[in-house]
Amino acid sequence: MNTLLSLADNLSKFWSYTGFFNAEIGHIVMILIGLVFIYLAIKKEYEPLLLIPIGFGILIGNIPFNEAANLQVGIYEEGSVFNILYQGVVKGWYPPLIFLGIGAMTDFSALIANPKLILIGAAAQFGIFGAYIIALQMGFAPNEAGAIGIIGGADGPTAIFLTSKLAPHLLGAVAISAYSYMALVPVIQPPFMRMLTTPKERVIKMKTPRVVSQTEKIMFPIMGLLMTAFLVPSGLALLGMLFFGNLLKESGVTRRLAETARGPLVDTITILLGLTVGASTQATTFLRVESVKIFAIGALSFVIATCTGILFVKLMNLFLKKGDKINPLVGNAGVSAVPDAARISQTTGLEYDPSNYLLMHAMGPNVAGVIGSAVAAGIMLGFLY
Amino acid sequence: MTPTVEKTLLIAGIGMVGIFVFMTLFYLLIIALDRFLPYQEERATEELSEDSITDEEE
Repeated sequence: MNTLLSLADNLSKFWSYTGFFNAEIGHIVMILIGLVFIYLAIKKEYEPLLLIPIGFGILIGNIPFNEAANLQVGIYEEGSVFNILYQGVVKGWYPPLIFLGIGAMTDFSALIANPKLILIGAAAQFGIFGAYIIALQMGFAPNEAGAIGIIGGADGPTAIFLTSKLAPHLLGAVAISAYSYMALVPVIQPPFMRMLTTPKERVIKMKTPRVVSQTEKIMFPIMGLLMTAFLVPSGLALLGMLFFGNLLKESGVTRRLAETARGPLVDTITILLGLTVGASTQATTFLRVESVKIFAIGALSFVIATCTGILFVKLMNLFLKKGDKINPLVGNAGVSAVPDAARISQTTGLEYDPSNYLLMHAMGPNVAGVIGSAVAAGIMLGFLY
Repeated sequence: MTPTVEKTLLIAGIGMVGIFVFMTLFYLLIIALDRFLPYQEERATEELSEDSITDEEE
Protein backbone atom coordinates (compact mmCIF):
# COMPACT_ATOMS: atom_id res chain seq x y z
CA MET A 1 0.00 0.00 0.00
CA ASN A 2 2.82 2.34 0.96
CA THR A 3 4.54 1.63 -2.34
CA LEU A 4 1.38 2.51 -4.22
CA LEU A 5 1.00 5.73 -2.26
CA SER A 6 4.63 6.61 -2.89
CA LEU A 7 4.21 5.86 -6.60
CA ALA A 8 1.09 8.02 -6.76
CA ASP A 9 2.91 10.79 -4.93
CA ASN A 10 5.83 10.60 -7.33
CA LEU A 11 3.53 10.54 -10.34
CA SER A 12 1.67 13.56 -8.97
CA LYS A 13 4.98 15.36 -8.45
CA PHE A 14 6.11 14.42 -11.95
CA TRP A 15 2.80 15.71 -13.34
CA SER A 16 3.29 19.03 -11.55
CA TYR A 17 6.63 19.43 -13.35
CA THR A 18 5.21 18.82 -16.83
CA GLY A 19 4.34 21.47 -19.35
CA PHE A 20 0.76 20.17 -19.52
CA PHE A 21 0.22 20.95 -15.83
CA ASN A 22 1.84 24.40 -15.97
CA ALA A 23 0.43 25.51 -19.31
CA GLU A 24 -1.59 28.71 -19.44
CA ILE A 25 -3.46 30.29 -22.31
CA GLY A 26 -0.55 32.75 -22.83
CA HIS A 27 1.87 29.89 -23.49
CA ILE A 28 -0.46 28.40 -26.09
CA VAL A 29 -0.92 31.76 -27.85
CA MET A 30 2.85 32.35 -27.96
CA ILE A 31 3.49 28.83 -29.25
CA LEU A 32 0.98 29.50 -32.02
CA ILE A 33 2.79 32.76 -32.86
CA GLY A 34 6.08 30.82 -33.02
CA LEU A 35 4.48 28.28 -35.35
CA VAL A 36 3.19 31.09 -37.61
CA PHE A 37 6.75 32.46 -37.85
CA ILE A 38 8.08 29.04 -38.83
CA TYR A 39 5.25 28.61 -41.34
CA LEU A 40 5.95 32.03 -42.93
CA ALA A 41 9.66 31.24 -43.12
CA ILE A 42 9.23 27.81 -44.74
CA LYS A 43 6.11 28.25 -46.83
CA LYS A 44 6.40 31.92 -47.85
CA GLU A 45 10.20 32.15 -47.52
CA TYR A 46 9.93 35.43 -45.59
CA GLU A 47 13.42 36.00 -44.10
CA PRO A 48 13.81 32.27 -43.26
CA LEU A 49 17.32 32.71 -41.84
CA LEU A 50 15.84 34.91 -39.12
CA LEU A 51 12.25 33.77 -38.74
CA ILE A 52 13.10 30.10 -38.20
CA PRO A 53 15.50 30.76 -35.27
CA ILE A 54 13.12 33.38 -33.83
CA GLY A 55 10.04 31.17 -34.32
CA PHE A 56 11.74 28.17 -32.76
CA GLY A 57 13.06 30.40 -29.99
CA ILE A 58 9.48 31.46 -29.24
CA LEU A 59 8.58 27.78 -28.87
CA ILE A 60 11.54 27.20 -26.53
CA GLY A 61 10.81 30.31 -24.47
CA ASN A 62 7.18 29.42 -23.99
CA ILE A 63 7.41 25.82 -22.92
CA PRO A 64 5.64 25.92 -19.56
CA PHE A 65 7.46 24.52 -16.56
CA ASN A 66 7.40 24.73 -12.80
CA GLU A 67 9.43 27.86 -12.15
CA ALA A 68 9.53 27.22 -8.39
CA ALA A 69 11.41 23.97 -9.02
CA ASN A 70 14.54 25.93 -10.02
CA LEU A 71 15.19 23.70 -13.00
CA GLN A 72 17.45 26.37 -14.54
CA VAL A 73 16.03 25.96 -18.03
CA GLY A 74 14.32 29.33 -18.57
CA ILE A 75 16.04 32.17 -20.39
CA TYR A 76 15.49 34.51 -17.44
CA GLU A 77 16.88 32.02 -14.86
CA GLU A 78 20.41 33.07 -14.02
CA GLY A 79 22.98 30.44 -14.97
CA SER A 80 20.78 28.50 -17.38
CA VAL A 81 22.19 27.72 -20.83
CA PHE A 82 19.73 30.01 -22.55
CA ASN A 83 20.40 32.76 -20.02
CA ILE A 84 24.12 32.57 -20.79
CA LEU A 85 23.46 32.69 -24.55
CA TYR A 86 21.03 35.58 -23.98
CA GLN A 87 23.82 37.71 -22.47
CA GLY A 88 24.99 38.49 -26.01
CA VAL A 89 21.67 40.25 -26.55
CA VAL A 90 21.42 41.83 -23.10
CA LYS A 91 24.97 43.17 -23.15
CA GLY A 92 24.65 44.13 -26.82
CA TRP A 93 27.61 42.24 -28.30
CA TYR A 94 25.76 40.12 -30.88
CA PRO A 95 24.66 43.10 -33.05
CA PRO A 96 28.20 44.49 -33.59
CA LEU A 97 29.37 40.99 -34.60
CA ILE A 98 26.51 40.82 -37.10
CA PHE A 99 27.63 44.21 -38.40
CA LEU A 100 31.13 42.80 -38.85
CA GLY A 101 29.64 40.15 -41.12
CA ILE A 102 27.48 42.68 -42.95
CA GLY A 103 30.56 44.83 -43.57
CA ALA A 104 32.42 41.82 -44.95
CA MET A 105 29.64 41.10 -47.43
CA THR A 106 28.74 44.68 -48.44
CA ASP A 107 30.04 46.28 -51.60
CA PHE A 108 29.98 50.06 -51.19
CA SER A 109 30.84 50.62 -54.88
CA ALA A 110 27.33 51.76 -55.79
CA LEU A 111 27.48 54.40 -53.10
CA ILE A 112 31.02 55.53 -53.93
CA ALA A 113 30.14 55.73 -57.63
CA ASN A 114 27.12 57.96 -57.04
CA PRO A 115 27.63 59.60 -53.62
CA LYS A 116 24.53 61.81 -53.75
CA LEU A 117 22.51 58.63 -53.14
CA ILE A 118 23.82 58.67 -49.57
CA LEU A 119 21.43 61.51 -48.80
CA ILE A 120 18.46 59.22 -49.52
CA GLY A 121 19.78 56.96 -46.76
CA ALA A 122 19.63 60.00 -44.48
CA ALA A 123 16.11 61.04 -45.51
CA ALA A 124 14.68 57.59 -44.82
CA GLN A 125 15.71 57.96 -41.18
CA PHE A 126 12.69 60.24 -40.75
CA GLY A 127 10.98 56.90 -40.10
CA ILE A 128 12.98 56.51 -36.90
CA PHE A 129 12.36 59.99 -35.56
CA GLY A 130 8.73 60.02 -36.76
CA ALA A 131 8.11 56.80 -34.84
CA TYR A 132 9.95 58.24 -31.84
CA ILE A 133 7.58 61.24 -31.75
CA ILE A 134 4.50 59.02 -32.19
CA ALA A 135 5.67 56.64 -29.44
CA LEU A 136 6.15 59.52 -27.01
CA GLN A 137 2.70 60.86 -27.83
CA MET A 138 1.25 57.40 -27.18
CA GLY A 139 2.56 57.51 -23.63
CA PHE A 140 5.87 55.67 -23.80
CA ALA A 141 8.79 57.01 -21.75
CA PRO A 142 11.53 58.78 -23.79
CA ASN A 143 13.98 55.85 -23.55
CA GLU A 144 11.22 53.40 -24.59
CA ALA A 145 10.18 55.70 -27.47
CA GLY A 146 13.79 55.77 -28.69
CA ALA A 147 13.93 51.98 -28.70
CA ILE A 148 10.60 51.74 -30.53
CA GLY A 149 11.56 54.45 -33.02
CA ILE A 150 14.60 52.53 -34.22
CA ILE A 151 12.26 49.91 -35.75
CA GLY A 152 11.85 52.47 -38.57
CA GLY A 153 15.48 51.95 -39.53
CA ALA A 154 14.53 48.45 -40.72
CA ASP A 155 17.68 47.07 -39.19
CA GLY A 156 17.25 44.17 -36.77
CA PRO A 157 20.73 44.20 -35.16
CA THR A 158 20.59 47.99 -34.66
CA ALA A 159 17.12 47.72 -33.13
CA ILE A 160 18.30 44.99 -30.74
CA PHE A 161 21.47 46.89 -29.87
CA LEU A 162 19.66 50.13 -29.04
CA THR A 163 16.78 48.46 -27.21
CA SER A 164 19.17 46.40 -25.06
CA LYS A 165 20.67 49.70 -23.91
CA LEU A 166 17.57 51.90 -23.64
CA ALA A 167 14.65 49.62 -22.78
CA PRO A 168 15.65 45.96 -22.28
CA HIS A 169 12.12 45.07 -21.11
CA LEU A 170 10.84 45.85 -24.64
CA LEU A 171 13.50 43.79 -26.39
CA GLY A 172 11.22 40.95 -27.46
CA ALA A 173 8.46 43.15 -28.86
CA VAL A 174 10.86 45.54 -30.64
CA ALA A 175 12.97 42.73 -32.15
CA ILE A 176 9.98 40.72 -33.31
CA SER A 177 8.35 43.85 -34.72
CA ALA A 178 11.54 44.92 -36.55
CA TYR A 179 12.16 41.50 -38.08
CA SER A 180 8.50 40.95 -38.96
CA TYR A 181 8.28 44.21 -40.87
CA MET A 182 11.66 43.58 -42.51
CA ALA A 183 10.20 40.31 -43.77
CA LEU A 184 7.11 42.20 -44.93
CA VAL A 185 9.03 44.91 -46.81
CA PRO A 186 7.90 43.42 -50.18
CA VAL A 187 4.28 43.84 -49.02
CA ILE A 188 4.53 47.22 -47.27
CA GLN A 189 6.61 49.29 -49.68
CA PRO A 190 5.27 48.83 -53.26
CA PRO A 191 1.82 50.45 -52.73
CA PHE A 192 3.44 53.63 -51.36
CA MET A 193 6.05 53.61 -54.14
CA ARG A 194 3.26 53.58 -56.73
CA MET A 195 1.17 56.12 -54.84
CA LEU A 196 3.94 58.72 -54.61
CA THR A 197 5.38 58.48 -58.13
CA THR A 198 4.06 59.43 -61.57
CA PRO A 199 4.26 57.04 -64.55
CA LYS A 200 6.90 59.35 -66.08
CA GLU A 201 9.06 59.25 -62.96
CA ARG A 202 8.92 55.45 -62.73
CA VAL A 203 10.67 55.03 -66.10
CA ILE A 204 13.55 57.43 -65.45
CA LYS A 205 16.75 55.73 -66.56
CA MET A 206 19.72 56.53 -64.39
CA LYS A 207 23.26 56.97 -65.65
CA THR A 208 25.50 53.90 -65.52
CA PRO A 209 27.63 54.23 -62.38
CA ARG A 210 31.33 54.91 -62.87
CA VAL A 211 33.93 52.26 -62.10
CA VAL A 212 35.32 52.52 -58.57
CA SER A 213 39.03 52.02 -57.99
CA GLN A 214 40.28 49.45 -55.48
CA THR A 215 42.14 52.20 -53.64
CA GLU A 216 38.86 54.07 -53.12
CA LYS A 217 37.23 50.89 -51.83
CA ILE A 218 40.06 50.41 -49.33
CA MET A 219 40.13 54.03 -48.21
CA PHE A 220 36.34 54.23 -47.74
CA PRO A 221 36.07 52.05 -44.59
CA ILE A 222 39.19 53.62 -43.06
CA MET A 223 37.98 57.17 -43.61
CA GLY A 224 34.45 56.12 -42.65
CA LEU A 225 35.65 54.72 -39.33
CA LEU A 226 37.64 57.85 -38.52
CA MET A 227 34.71 60.10 -39.36
CA THR A 228 32.31 57.99 -37.30
CA ALA A 229 34.66 57.80 -34.35
CA PHE A 230 35.14 61.53 -34.22
CA LEU A 231 31.59 62.64 -35.03
CA VAL A 232 29.32 60.03 -33.43
CA PRO A 233 31.41 58.02 -30.95
CA SER A 234 28.25 56.39 -29.58
CA GLY A 235 27.77 54.67 -32.95
CA LEU A 236 31.26 53.20 -32.85
CA ALA A 237 30.28 49.67 -31.80
CA LEU A 238 28.10 49.17 -34.88
CA LEU A 239 29.79 51.34 -37.49
CA GLY A 240 33.30 50.46 -36.31
CA MET A 241 32.60 46.78 -36.85
CA LEU A 242 30.80 47.46 -40.16
CA PHE A 243 33.81 49.30 -41.57
CA PHE A 244 36.25 46.78 -40.10
CA GLY A 245 34.40 43.96 -41.85
CA ASN A 246 34.41 45.96 -45.07
CA LEU A 247 38.17 46.55 -44.87
CA LEU A 248 38.69 42.79 -44.42
CA LYS A 249 36.74 42.33 -47.65
CA GLU A 250 38.32 45.10 -49.70
CA SER A 251 41.94 44.90 -48.56
CA GLY A 252 42.40 41.78 -50.68
CA VAL A 253 44.94 40.31 -48.25
CA THR A 254 42.58 39.05 -45.52
CA ARG A 255 40.32 36.85 -47.59
CA ARG A 256 40.16 34.12 -44.94
CA LEU A 257 39.12 36.56 -42.24
CA ALA A 258 36.53 38.16 -44.52
CA GLU A 259 35.11 34.76 -45.43
CA THR A 260 34.87 33.80 -41.75
CA ALA A 261 33.23 37.10 -40.85
CA ARG A 262 30.58 36.91 -43.58
CA GLY A 263 30.15 33.14 -43.35
CA PRO A 264 30.50 31.00 -40.23
CA LEU A 265 30.72 33.89 -37.75
CA VAL A 266 27.66 35.78 -38.93
CA ASP A 267 25.72 32.51 -39.26
CA THR A 268 26.60 31.48 -35.70
CA ILE A 269 25.63 34.85 -34.27
CA THR A 270 22.42 34.91 -36.32
CA ILE A 271 21.44 31.53 -34.87
CA LEU A 272 22.20 32.62 -31.29
CA LEU A 273 20.59 36.03 -31.71
CA GLY A 274 17.42 34.73 -33.35
CA LEU A 275 16.98 31.87 -30.95
CA THR A 276 17.50 33.91 -27.79
CA VAL A 277 15.43 36.89 -28.96
CA GLY A 278 12.62 34.47 -29.77
CA ALA A 279 12.99 32.73 -26.41
CA SER A 280 12.87 36.07 -24.60
CA THR A 281 9.35 36.76 -25.88
CA GLN A 282 7.39 35.12 -23.12
CA ALA A 283 3.66 35.49 -22.71
CA THR A 284 3.91 37.55 -19.52
CA THR A 285 6.16 40.16 -21.13
CA PHE A 286 4.97 39.95 -24.73
CA LEU A 287 1.18 39.56 -24.70
CA ARG A 288 0.46 43.09 -23.55
CA VAL A 289 -1.19 46.20 -24.94
CA GLU A 290 2.28 47.80 -25.21
CA SER A 291 3.32 45.13 -27.72
CA VAL A 292 0.28 45.89 -29.90
CA LYS A 293 1.17 49.60 -29.77
CA ILE A 294 4.80 48.79 -30.67
CA PHE A 295 3.65 46.76 -33.67
CA ALA A 296 1.38 49.60 -34.82
CA ILE A 297 4.14 52.22 -34.45
CA GLY A 298 6.59 49.86 -36.20
CA ALA A 299 4.30 49.61 -39.24
CA LEU A 300 3.89 53.39 -39.32
CA SER A 301 7.65 53.92 -39.07
CA PHE A 302 8.24 51.70 -42.12
CA VAL A 303 5.63 53.65 -44.07
CA ILE A 304 7.17 57.00 -43.03
CA ALA A 305 10.68 55.81 -43.95
CA THR A 306 9.51 54.57 -47.36
CA CYS A 307 7.58 57.76 -48.13
CA THR A 308 10.28 60.18 -46.99
CA GLY A 309 12.90 58.32 -49.04
CA ILE A 310 10.79 58.60 -52.20
CA LEU A 311 9.75 62.21 -51.58
CA PHE A 312 13.35 63.19 -50.94
CA VAL A 313 14.39 61.79 -54.32
CA LYS A 314 11.63 63.85 -55.94
CA LEU A 315 12.96 66.91 -54.11
CA MET A 316 16.52 66.17 -55.25
CA ASN A 317 15.32 65.82 -58.86
CA LEU A 318 14.12 69.43 -58.78
CA PHE A 319 17.76 70.50 -58.49
CA LEU A 320 19.43 67.89 -60.70
CA LYS A 321 20.23 68.24 -64.40
CA LYS A 322 18.17 66.17 -66.85
CA GLY A 323 20.75 63.42 -67.36
CA ASP A 324 21.51 63.15 -63.63
CA LYS A 325 17.94 62.61 -62.39
CA ILE A 326 17.27 59.78 -59.95
CA ASN A 327 14.41 57.34 -60.37
CA PRO A 328 12.20 57.88 -57.27
CA LEU A 329 11.60 54.12 -57.14
CA VAL A 330 15.03 53.81 -55.47
CA GLY A 331 13.87 56.08 -52.63
CA ASN A 332 12.32 53.19 -50.71
CA ALA A 333 15.77 51.60 -50.49
CA GLY A 334 16.89 54.26 -48.01
CA VAL A 335 15.80 51.87 -45.26
CA SER A 336 18.52 49.44 -44.30
CA ALA A 337 16.79 46.17 -45.17
CA VAL A 338 19.66 45.00 -47.38
CA PRO A 339 19.20 43.89 -50.13
CA ASP A 340 15.42 43.34 -49.93
CA ALA A 341 14.50 47.01 -50.28
CA ALA A 342 16.83 47.38 -53.29
CA ARG A 343 15.28 44.29 -54.89
CA ILE A 344 11.84 45.88 -54.52
CA SER A 345 13.08 48.98 -56.38
CA GLN A 346 14.28 46.65 -59.13
CA THR A 347 11.10 44.57 -59.43
CA THR A 348 8.80 47.60 -59.27
CA GLY A 349 10.90 49.44 -61.85
CA LEU A 350 10.84 46.44 -64.20
CA GLU A 351 7.03 46.42 -64.06
CA TYR A 352 6.98 49.78 -65.83
CA ASP A 353 10.04 49.39 -68.07
CA PRO A 354 11.41 45.87 -68.55
CA SER A 355 14.77 47.29 -69.67
CA ASN A 356 15.28 49.55 -66.63
CA TYR A 357 17.46 47.76 -64.10
CA LEU A 358 17.49 49.72 -60.84
CA LEU A 359 19.15 47.19 -58.53
CA MET A 360 22.68 48.61 -58.77
CA HIS A 361 21.39 52.17 -58.26
CA ALA A 362 19.17 51.15 -55.34
CA MET A 363 22.06 49.45 -53.55
CA GLY A 364 23.60 52.90 -52.96
CA PRO A 365 20.77 54.25 -50.75
CA ASN A 366 20.34 50.77 -49.29
CA VAL A 367 23.86 50.57 -47.84
CA ALA A 368 23.60 54.27 -46.93
CA GLY A 369 20.52 53.26 -44.93
CA VAL A 370 22.64 50.82 -42.91
CA ILE A 371 25.03 53.64 -42.05
CA GLY A 372 22.14 56.08 -41.46
CA SER A 373 20.24 53.85 -39.05
CA ALA A 374 23.44 53.11 -37.07
CA VAL A 375 24.14 56.85 -36.86
CA ALA A 376 20.54 57.43 -35.72
CA ALA A 377 21.01 54.74 -33.06
CA GLY A 378 24.20 56.47 -31.95
CA ILE A 379 22.39 59.82 -31.71
CA MET A 380 19.51 58.26 -29.74
CA LEU A 381 22.01 56.60 -27.43
CA GLY A 382 23.80 59.89 -26.93
CA PHE A 383 20.58 61.67 -25.95
CA LEU A 384 18.66 59.01 -24.06
CA TYR A 385 21.10 56.54 -22.45
CA MET B 1 3.43 73.10 -26.07
CA THR B 2 4.40 70.92 -23.10
CA PRO B 3 8.06 70.51 -22.09
CA THR B 4 7.90 66.82 -23.15
CA VAL B 5 6.71 67.72 -26.64
CA GLU B 6 9.35 70.43 -26.87
CA LYS B 7 12.08 67.99 -25.84
CA THR B 8 10.75 65.37 -28.26
CA LEU B 9 10.81 67.75 -31.18
CA LEU B 10 14.23 69.02 -30.18
CA ILE B 11 15.73 65.51 -30.10
CA ALA B 12 14.03 64.57 -33.38
CA GLY B 13 15.17 67.82 -35.00
CA ILE B 14 18.74 67.56 -33.79
CA GLY B 15 18.76 63.87 -34.73
CA MET B 16 17.66 64.44 -38.32
CA VAL B 17 19.96 67.44 -38.78
CA GLY B 18 22.78 65.37 -37.27
CA ILE B 19 22.18 62.51 -39.71
CA PHE B 20 22.10 64.88 -42.69
CA VAL B 21 25.30 66.60 -41.53
CA PHE B 22 26.98 63.21 -41.07
CA MET B 23 25.84 61.96 -44.47
CA THR B 24 26.83 65.22 -46.16
CA LEU B 25 30.31 64.84 -44.71
CA PHE B 26 30.35 61.28 -46.02
CA TYR B 27 29.31 62.64 -49.42
CA LEU B 28 32.18 65.11 -49.34
CA LEU B 29 34.54 62.33 -48.25
CA ILE B 30 33.58 60.23 -51.26
CA ILE B 31 33.95 63.22 -53.59
CA ALA B 32 37.41 63.79 -52.11
CA LEU B 33 38.31 60.11 -52.59
CA ASP B 34 37.26 60.35 -56.23
CA ARG B 35 39.21 63.57 -56.68
CA PHE B 36 42.44 62.31 -55.14
CA LEU B 37 42.25 58.62 -56.06
CA PRO B 38 40.52 58.56 -59.45
CA TYR B 39 39.97 55.29 -61.26
CA GLN B 40 41.13 56.58 -64.64
CA GLU B 41 44.63 57.33 -63.45
CA GLU B 42 44.93 53.94 -61.80
CA ARG B 43 43.88 52.18 -65.00
CA ALA B 44 46.07 54.37 -67.12
CA THR B 45 49.05 53.52 -64.93
CA GLU B 46 48.23 49.83 -65.13
CA GLU B 47 47.90 50.04 -68.90
CA LEU B 48 51.21 51.87 -69.09
CA SER B 49 53.00 49.25 -67.05
CA GLU B 50 51.38 46.46 -69.08
CA ASP B 51 52.48 48.20 -72.27
CA SER B 52 56.01 48.58 -71.01
CA ILE B 53 56.11 44.88 -70.06
CA THR B 54 54.87 43.95 -73.53
CA ASP B 55 57.40 46.28 -75.08
CA GLU B 56 60.17 44.74 -73.04
CA GLU B 57 59.06 41.24 -74.02
CA GLU B 58 59.02 42.22 -77.67
